[in-house]
Amino acid sequence: MTAPLPEVASRKYDLTFARWVRDNVEGGDKMNMCMQCGTCSGSCPIGPEMDNGPRKTFMMVRAGMREEVLSSSTLWNCTSCYRCTVRCPRGIKVTAIIQGLAQVAAKEGYAPKGENASFANAFWWSASTFGKTDERLVPTLYYFSAGFMEGIRKSLDNLKIAINMLKAGRMHIGMPHTIKDKKGLKAILAKAAEIEKAKG
Amino acid sequence: MSEFERKPCVYLCEGCGIKDALDIDDLERVATMEMGVPEAKRSDSFCAGDGYETLKKDMESGDVNQAIIVGCSPRVMAEQFRELPGQVIRANIREQVVWTQPPNDEDTQMMAADNIRMAAAQAQNSEPPQAYWDAASSLKLLVVGGGVSGLSAAREASKTGCEVVLVEKSDALGGWAAKWSKTIPGAAPYTGLQENGIADLIKEVEEDKNITVHTNTIIGQTEGMPGKFTTQLVNGKGDSWDVFGSIIVATGWREMDTAKLEHLGYGKSDDIVTDIQFEQRLADGNIPKTAAIIINPDKEIQPFSSGVSTKVAIKQALQIMQADPDAMVYVIYEELRAHGTAESFYREAQEAGVVFQKGEVKSVDGDLTVTVHDDLLGANIPMTGLDVVVITTGMIPNSTNIDIEAAEKGEDQLKDDIRPNLPLITINGEEPEAASDDDDGDVMPGGPILNLQYRQGPHIPVLANGFADSHYICFPYETRRTGIYTCGPVRRPMTIAEAKEDAQGAVLKAIQAMRMSNQAEAVHPRVGDLSYPEFGLNICTKCRRCTVECPFGAIDEDPETDYPVLNPSRCRRCGTCMGACPVSTISFKNYNPQMVSEMISAVEIPDEFDEKPRILVMACENDAIPALDMAGINRRQINKYMRVIPVRCLGSVTLLWVKTALEKGYDGIMLMGCKSGDDYQCHFVKGSAMAQERMSKVGETLQSMMMEEERVAVTEIAISDTRKIADTLNSFGETIEGLGLNPFKM
Repeated sequence: MTAPLPEVASRKYDLTFARWVRDNVEGGDKMNMCMQCGTCSGSCPIGPEMDNGPRKTFMMVRAGMREEVLSSSTLWNCTSCYRCTVRCPRGIKVTAIIQGLAQVAAKEGYAPKGENASFANAFWWSASTFGKTDERLVPTLYYFSAGFMEGIRKSLDNLKIAINMLKAGRMHIGMPHTIKDKKGLKAILAKAAEIEKAKG
Repeated sequence: MSEFERKPCVYLCEGCGIKDALDIDDLERVATMEMGVPEAKRSDSFCAGDGYETLKKDMESGDVNQAIIVGCSPRVMAEQFRELPGQVIRANIREQVVWTQPPNDEDTQMMAADNIRMAAAQAQNSEPPQAYWDAASSLKLLVVGGGVSGLSAAREASKTGCEVVLVEKSDALGGWAAKWSKTIPGAAPYTGLQENGIADLIKEVEEDKNITVHTNTIIGQTEGMPGKFTTQLVNGKGDSWDVFGSIIVATGWREMDTAKLEHLGYGKSDDIVTDIQFEQRLADGNIPKTAAIIINPDKEIQPFSSGVSTKVAIKQALQIMQADPDAMVYVIYEELRAHGTAESFYREAQEAGVVFQKGEVKSVDGDLTVTVHDDLLGANIPMTGLDVVVITTGMIPNSTNIDIEAAEKGEDQLKDDIRPNLPLITINGEEPEAASDDDDGDVMPGGPILNLQYRQGPHIPVLANGFADSHYICFPYETRRTGIYTCGPVRRPMTIAEAKEDAQGAVLKAIQAMRMSNQAEAVHPRVGDLSYPEFGLNICTKCRRCTVECPFGAIDEDPETDYPVLNPSRCRRCGTCMGACPVSTISFKNYNPQMVSEMISAVEIPDEFDEKPRILVMACENDAIPALDMAGINRRQINKYMRVIPVRCLGSVTLLWVKTALEKGYDGIMLMGCKSGDDYQCHFVKGSAMAQERMSKVGETLQSMMMEEERVAVTEIAISDTRKIADTLNSFGETIEGLGLNPFKM
C-alpha cells in the first residue's frame, strides 16, 4: 500500500475512490472490466455469510461508497479459496482486490473489533508461531476469546464436528504440527514488517 | 388483346419423379383435348439437354410463342427460360403436386390436371408485355446532402463512371464530421480511435471530374419519374433545372431539441452539455478532469435508443482518457448498446479506466451533482465533483428540410406546392406543424426535401420516428418513391463508417434504377419486368382509388380530365391498382383480372355428391410461394383439395376473383401474403395491409349470402415459414370440411 486514502468531503460517496482503488490496490486496474455478471458472488462458498459479496462490492467501489465498502464484512470473511478469481470471465483478480481492500480498511481503522478480529488473531497466532494453522488451537482460541462461558458453549456446539473430524483423521491428538524451518519463517515475517514500516 | 396471335404448346416434363407419380397420358389429354392447346410434347427434362433444344428451336423459329411448361416451380430454372423469345408460362406439378401429395392417387392426378387447366387459361388470357417507351433517359445521379453519406455516395457513383450532381444546402461540404476530430473505429481491430478522414473525402470529391458540387443550394421541386426526374436547383443567385436518372437523399440528421433536456439540468450550467457540444470541446482540446457521460437518459423524449449514442459515449470517454490518463470518466447507462465490433471498443474503454455505471439518472443539479439510481445497488447515488456532464442525444433524421435560411431561397417555389395543406418550410420564424399523414407515418417538422410534385404529396414517406421508410430486410435503401434512395442517418442512426458503407449500397441501387428505367424495365422486386398497368378509360369511373392506393405514387390524376395517368418508371408492377379498381379495368398484358378469373374458372369443380371440396389459395409470389415450394422440397403433406394461383402481391387481389370463386363452387378461399404493419415484410410496402383491409369487408357479403365468414381467410406467411404454411393450409382444409360444401355448388 502506497498512497493513503485522500481526505474528502464525504466518505459516504467519494467519486475519487474508484480511481484510488484502481491505482493503489493490487489488481485494481482490472476492476473496471467487471461486467457485473455475478459469477464471483455465485461461486463464493462464504457468500451467505457476507453482507455484500464481491460483485456488489465492486459496484459500490465504482459508485464511490468508500465507507460502506471499507466497513463491510465481505473483506474479512473471504477465505482466499480463489474460486472467484479462477472463474471470472473477465480475468479480474477478485481475491487480490478483496484482500487489498481489507488491508486498506485495517489501515484506515475500519477493521472489525468483534468476531472477525478474534478469529484473525487466533489464525495469525497459530500461523506465526508454528508456521501452520492447528485445527484444535485456532478454534479454541477463537471460541474462548469471547469469555469462558461463551467458549464452553461454542465448543460444545461444535463437539459433534470435532468427533467426526477425529474419526475421519482430519484432527490429530498430540503436539501441534510445525514447519521444519521456524527460524526462517520468523526472519520472513520480520523482513515483511520492516518493509511495511519503511513504506509507512 | 386481339392483335396477338397465340401459338401455344404444352411441354410436359416427365423428369424429377413426375412420371412415376402421375398419369402423363391423362395430363396430355387434358391439355390438348380439353383445353384445346394444339400440341403437347414430352421429355425427361425441358430445362436442359434435348428437351431444352426442342423447346428453344420451337420458340426461336416462331412456331410457338407461348410455351406452357408443365413441371417444376416457376422459381427454379428461371434463368434458362428467360432467354427464350416469347412468353413462358409455368404449371407447377412438381413442388406443389408430386412432392406434397401421395403418388398415383386420384386426387393427386386431379390436382395436376387442374394446374394444367389453369396454365392453359393463363396462356389464353395473356400475352407478352411490350416496353412502354424506347427513348433513352438520363443516366445522371443527383445526390442531396454533402455530409459523409452524400460525399461517399457521390464518390462511389463517380468511380463507376456515373455523372453526379451534389447539392448541399450549407456553404461547405463535410456536414457534422467536418466539425469533429476523432471517430468511432470502422476497421479492425475496432479498438482505437480513428481520424475521420473527412478532409480527404472532400478533396477527392472536389477534384473529381464527374462530380459537380452546388453549395448553398436546395431543391426547389422535383417532378417526373426515374430516368426523367426534372429537378429545380435553387440558390441565391438564380435557379437552374436539370434532368436526373435517380436521386440519392443523404440529408443526414440534426440535433435534438435541447429544450427537452431541461429536466436533466440542461441550461443550468455551461458545463452541462450535449454530446454534440462536447464533441466541439474535444476538438478544441478542452479536456475535463472528471466527467460523467449519460447515455440516452430519457425514453420519453427519445423513444429510440440507438447503438450510436453508446458508441459516441464510449468514444468521448476514451478520448478523454487518452488525452489525460489521470482523468476520471463515468459513463452512466440504462442500456449499453455496444453490439458487434463495438464490444471490442467498449472493452478498450474499460481497460483504459472508464467506469461504466448502470442506473437511471434522477436529477442533474446546477453544481453538476448527478444523482443516479443505481439498479444494481438499489440506491440513489449522488455524484459530486464533476467538471462536466455530457448528455447524449439522439440523431433526429433530416427527412424534412428545417433550415430557415435555405427555405427562404426557395420560398416562391415551395408556395406553389401541389398539396398546399401540407406544411412548408418555416418562414418568418413561424413554427411549422408536423406534416402527418396516417398512411405515411410521422413526418418531422419542416418542409419537404425534394418537394416532389407527386399526387401523394411532396414528402418522402417515413416510418417510425421520422426515419425514411424502407423495407428493412430486403430493400433497405428503397424509399416508397421509385428511383429515390436514402442512405446514411436519414434512414437510421449510423456511425461514419456505417454511413460510408450505406452510401455504397444506395449508389448501386440508384444506378440500377437509372439503367433499368432506361430500358423501360421495372426495378426491384420485379427486376426486368416489362409489363405495366393499362387503364381501360372507357369504363373508368374516376373513383381515384388507384391513384390513392398506389404505394409508390406512380399514378397521377390528369389535371383536366381527372383520369388516371401512369408515370411508368415509378411503377413497380405490383398490381395494387388492379386490386383497387372497382370496375376491374386496370390490367397488365400478362396479369389481369380477366386472366385470373379464367384461371379460377378453369379448375374442374367436382359436384356435391363427390364430397371433394376445392380450396383456392391466392399466394403472394414473393414469400408465400417460395415457402410453399420449400414445403414441397421438404416433402410436407399438404391438403389435397387446394388449388394455388400465384399473385404478384396480395394487393393485386380483386374482390372480383373472390366472387368468381364462390360462384364457381369453391368451398374456401385463402389469401397468403407477407407481414403487414410497422415491421412489414410486404415487398410492395402496403399490398398485404391493403388486402386485409379489403377482405375485412368480405365477411358481411358472405353473411348476406348465408355463407360462413370463415370461408375466406387472409394469413401472413414469411418466406421461412415452410412448416407453418403446410399447417395453415391443412387446418384451413379441416375448417372447410367442417363447414361443409359451398351451398352454391352446381
